Amino acid sequence: MAHESADQPQLVLPLLVVSPVDVGRLIRDVETLDNLLMQYDLKGATHEAKMPKVSLLLDSIIDANKLDLLVPAQRQRLLAFLQSVRTQAPVLHISFGADPAASFIEKLMTWLRREISPQVLLTIGLQPNIGAGCLVRSTNKFYDFSLRQNFTKNRELLMASFQEVAKT
Amino acid sequence: MTIWWLLLLLGFIGATGIAFIWLIVKVGGTAKPAKKATGVDSIQEAADADVEHIFNEDFREELRNRGRLHFEKIIGENAMFLQQDLRLTTSQLNEYMKTEIASKLKEEFKKYEESIMDAKQMAIESIQKTNAAIDEQRALLGQAVQKEIVAEKQQLVQRFEQNMTDIVNHYVISAIGNQIDLNDQLEYILADLEANKAAMIEDITNGA
Repeated sequence: MAHESADQPQLVLPLLVVSPVDVGRLIRDVETLDNLLMQYDLKGATHEAKMPKVSLLLDSIIDANKLDLLVPAQRQRLLAFLQSVRTQAPVLHISFGADPAASFIEKLMTWLRREISPQVLLTIGLQPNIGAGCLVRSTNKFYDFSLRQNFTKNRELLMASFQEVAKT
Repeated sequence: MTIWWLLLLLGFIGATGIAFIWLIVKVGGTAKPAKKATGVDSIQEAADADVEHIFNEDFREELRNRGRLHFEKIIGENAMFLQQDLRLTTSQLNEYMKTEIASKLKEEFKKYEESIMDAKQMAIESIQKTNAAIDEQRALLGQAVQKEIVAEKQQLVQRFEQNMTDIVNHYVISAIGNQIDLNDQLEYILADLEANKAAMIEDITNGA
């Protein structure tokens, strides 16, 4: 982000962090960890104390960015990054006909982070009546990639098929 | 005509009655005893006595009887004539009444028949007009129903064509909706996203 220093590499969001809710949860986890380590510090505990057990999301972002959260500066850096993501990252809302599996979401997030934006977040909705495909809503636009829309686009083709069947 | 005949007949009966009374009075007057002649009228008296002798009480009684019989005969004849006239009058009256009543009845029947015929004609005309109106209404109704059916059919076809994509979509979803795995759709979803990638990036970059 803009306020991060130029010599430090850009932090990346792991694929497990999908939605703004995940980012909020990460911020809460980092703040909790920061408070805990600050308590250790105030109690005079050594900095070589073991890293407490953290959540899967936090673990994934630590691994992805090779962070040492025992260092207060890195914790602050992560916290600042997460807060900037929460406020500035683009959010896409995609609805599917069925609840998507985690592997599906991972593949989708991979493509979105690579092609759209490295910090894009995703909220997932459920629309059983669309059958197949998906509905995508960005900041100002709405895209209908559903099977129904596909049928509507190819309505003339469908009509021609029906008329041929009716003639025979 | 009949009333005059009746009056004439009553007049004749009245005249006959008056004549009969006069005759009785007259006969009674002749039966009075003659005054006795006194002195010089002996011849006359003798003649009267002879006359009295000839026209004695028996002869007079015989004359009275004959007169009575004649009168009775006349009365009987007149009564017979009267009866005949009465019968004739009655028969004429009957005939006249019959004729008059028949003519009146015929006239009334004719009027009644004419009024019946007029009413019948009016009823026939009214029925014909009603039938014509019903036929016309039926034709109009048939045309309207036919038009409505065609419009409804066109509307149904149009509605079907408009909602055909939804119908097919609903059918596809009902038939195989649960069997389409999202992982199988991923390629198509990514292809759609790829096709609209530029617009999405533009929206994310320049959007609010």
